[in-house]
Amino acid sequence: MSLVSDRPVVGEPRPWHFPSFQRQTVAGGRVLTAHLPGRPLAVTALVADAGASAEPIGREGIAELVARALSEGTTSRDAHGFAVAGERLGATWRASTDWDSLRCGFEVPVGELGAATELLAEAVRSAAFADATLARVRDERIDEVGIDRSQPATRAAEAFAAEVFADLSRYHRSDGGDVASLSAITNDDVRDYRSARLTPSASTLVVVGDLDTVDVEALGRTVFDGWADNAAEPAAPDVQPRGGGRRTVVVDRPGSVQSMLMVGHDGPPRKVEDYVAMSTMALVLGGMFSSRLNLKIREEKGYAYGAFGGFDTRKHGGVFVARAAVQSEVTLPALADLVAEIERMQDGGVERDELEQARAYRAGVFPISFAGVMAVASGLGDLVIHDFPDDHFDQLRQRVLDVRKDELDSSAATHLRPEDLVTVVVGDASGFAKDLESAGLGPVSIVPDES
Amino acid sequence: MPTIPTYPYSEHRLDNGLRVVISEDHLAAVVAVNVWYDVGSRHESPGRTGFAHLFEHLMFQGSANVARGEHFSTVNSAGGTLNGTTWCDRTNYFETLPSHHLATGLWLEADRMGGLLEALDQANLDNQREVVKNERRQTRDNQPYGSWLEHLHELCYPEDHPYHHTTIGSMADLDAASLEDARNFYATWYAPDNAVLSIVGDVDTAEALDLANTYFGGIPAKGGFPTPPPTDLPARLGGERRRTVTDRIPVPRAFIGYRTAPFGTKEFDALQVAATVLGGGRGSRLYKALVLDRQLLQPSDGAIIDSWPFIGGATLTIADLPAREGVDIDVLESAYHAEVDRIADGVTAEEVERAKALITSHWLHHLSSVEGRADTFGQYATLLGDPGLINEALPNWLAVPIDDVVAVTGEVLRQDNRAVVTFIPDVSDEQEAAA
Repeated sequence: MSLVSDRPVVGEPRPWHFPSFQRQTVAGGRVLTAHLPGRPLAVTALVADAGASAEPIGREGIAELVARALSEGTTSRDAHGFAVAGERLGATWRASTDWDSLRCGFEVPVGELGAATELLAEAVRSAAFADATLARVRDERIDEVGIDRSQPATRAAEAFAAEVFADLSRYHRSDGGDVASLSAITNDDVRDYRSARLTPSASTLVVVGDLDTVDVEALGRTVFDGWADNAAEPAAPDVQPRGGGRRTVVVDRPGSVQSMLMVGHDGPPRKVEDYVAMSTMALVLGGMFSSRLNLKIREEKGYAYGAFGGFDTRKHGGVFVARAAVQSEVTLPALADLVAEIERMQDGGVERDELEQARAYRAGVFPISFAGVMAVASGLGDLVIHDFPDDHFDQLRQRVLDVRKDELDSSAATHLRPEDLVTVVVGDASGFAKDLESAGLGPVSIVPDES
Repeated sequence: MPTIPTYPYSEHRLDNGLRVVISEDHLAAVVAVNVWYDVGSRHESPGRTGFAHLFEHLMFQGSANVARGEHFSTVNSAGGTLNGTTWCDRTNYFETLPSHHLATGLWLEADRMGGLLEALDQANLDNQREVVKNERRQTRDNQPYGSWLEHLHELCYPEDHPYHHTTIGSMADLDAASLEDARNFYATWYAPDNAVLSIVGDVDTAEALDLANTYFGGIPAKGGFPTPPPTDLPARLGGERRRTVTDRIPVPRAFIGYRTAPFGTKEFDALQVAATVLGGGRGSRLYKALVLDRQLLQPSDGAIIDSWPFIGGATLTIADLPAREGVDIDVLESAYHAEVDRIADGVTAEEVERAKALITSHWLHHLSSVEGRADTFGQYATLLGDPGLINEALPNWLAVPIDDVVAVTGEVLRQDNRAVVTFIPDVSDEQEAAA
């Protein structure tokens, strides 16, 4: 009686393809549907080109307020009435924004797809946006930002964006805005953004689930029929980085038992030519448990619960950042390790076995990532927002399987820029401030945590 | 109401006592492997709080045929995802894999179930001790409101009860943990006859059972598992308990814990429905009164009040009440209690229908993934002895009559059965001062 010492020899994987889906135009609106048999729940959602990057500077956070206000009462019922109507169907409302999209809709038992889509249409077309409602939603959001930024990770991200991007860049502030920008938003700003951005020509209805007995065209008509369009194409946002080489910002929080570290710089947009090589390289550096950052900071040194890093690629630009929450005593050595790993990758690229693992993981995990209706709906939303071809995910997976070591090495050399690293530390400055000046991380500014 | 699916499964017991639950689902080419061990932080010895969780970390550090670091890299290279978690009643380890890699997952789990000691050493323990201490710092010590859970456990369970302390444990106890503790803990609790293996997904039941036998069959049974300390408790706390914490936080916030009948009881199920009427979803009573009408409570996506699935004598039902800026926490708390007390005047059929529709879709959502289902099979098999309860849970919730919703609210959500932890912002530099 013993253990089996030999690793199992496994068979061939079942072939995988992203679920097939249909594109159609119904009542002038775009509808994407994917039939996934056997699932009791379905998704009906609107994906709109109405993300945060189009917001005016100084009033960032409008898109998120629009998304939230959609479920806060319509011309025919109040916020409570709208919530109850959905919940009695067993429908879960979700509305969110990111840099490049606004998405809202329901996950719902498939038999209630029609009724849920009517509610979705009611929200996007007839939300009342009354003065008192918009004021409440904005004030709730301001309070929420106050709570969020009391967390070290959120406070660090705020300081990082502010230092990496120029003052008038849209990426200078978080996609959800901050207390100052939210406070400057008027009710009319919210209404105007909605009428300009949340329009049928900027929107796509995505329906995913067991659609055997579902009249998809009827769902499309529910959303688009008679919805007036007054879309205005938004200008491309200013996403200018500040520039200026290495520099460090410390947000001083006396008494902190950890330092939240972020190290990085601005980065390329999603459509960067070597996206597959760049993002696979980033997996090796900081995107998996066995990535270099985590092995060094956690598994070798025990400095942190985890260390990760990678690129956030948006439509118009992005960031590269490595991060870890480390115990205060090791702030400087941990920073040195993060920077050293970024430099080592930039300079020397990846090892062959690291590439093998990252490639195998990334290509192999597709069937898991897209097993459920929510994930497939989200994937379809990405296709819409980035204008990807229908075979995008299959193509992406194949390109991951084909990507070569020299391509990763060249991406590392190009897209990692150790000379431009911006370092942010949220922690108790008294423990490390005096040594930070000589740490080679550029000029150091220490700001009190005013929150 | 949607059709309620029945999740097919078969249950087996290997000669060494390992329970195996297999459920086929061929919709996607994926499989979830999940091992629940019947050991959690409630089985810890005095002076060793946090040990069950620290030990969980050691299970990822290699075993007889798996080198340090290879557990993660093997699963990732297979295109899989993995993790482990520890809570009061259990420890679970799980991976989701492309289905042709089922054997890889089983081999890895078997190797650490039967062969951990060959890889366990002082260096691994020291490293993971630091990792866990940083996990505690990151999730508790350096988080605003981070101590709330410890306060509720302390207030709701007496000092000699195994739920008195939280799973993350204390820094001093983590420091004291030795290699010998780890060896003893493993020798005591980690055995096929103290575990449930669940396999859910694109597999053939007979083949999966064969593989389970191949990889786990050679691990000897241990038996003789110690009886954990008694957990019996009076049905109620017997008086209101309060604690005020002054800390550097943006807004006041109250956490209210109620002693509640354990997971798996009729009262627990009824309270789930009552809690959803009260605080589940934006159509709930508390959301309407406290967020929409009076604007006292900061809204969030989670439930305002919910119960945990503990089995040891009594579980906890917890309300989380963050105040809006400028709102007096006492005003918020009173408004909350008034709304809870109003349930005694009765609830409508429509309210209960809404709650049950929400419970239904949340349950379907939870079980829509193979990993959610594997974990739930493991939960029912380990905690309540029967994986088949997965198919009874929803019918049980749906069968709760209106009268029971009112009655259970009156029995549980009452002043003499609650502990209230109130966080107050401190503008000075003072650290936490617990009353």
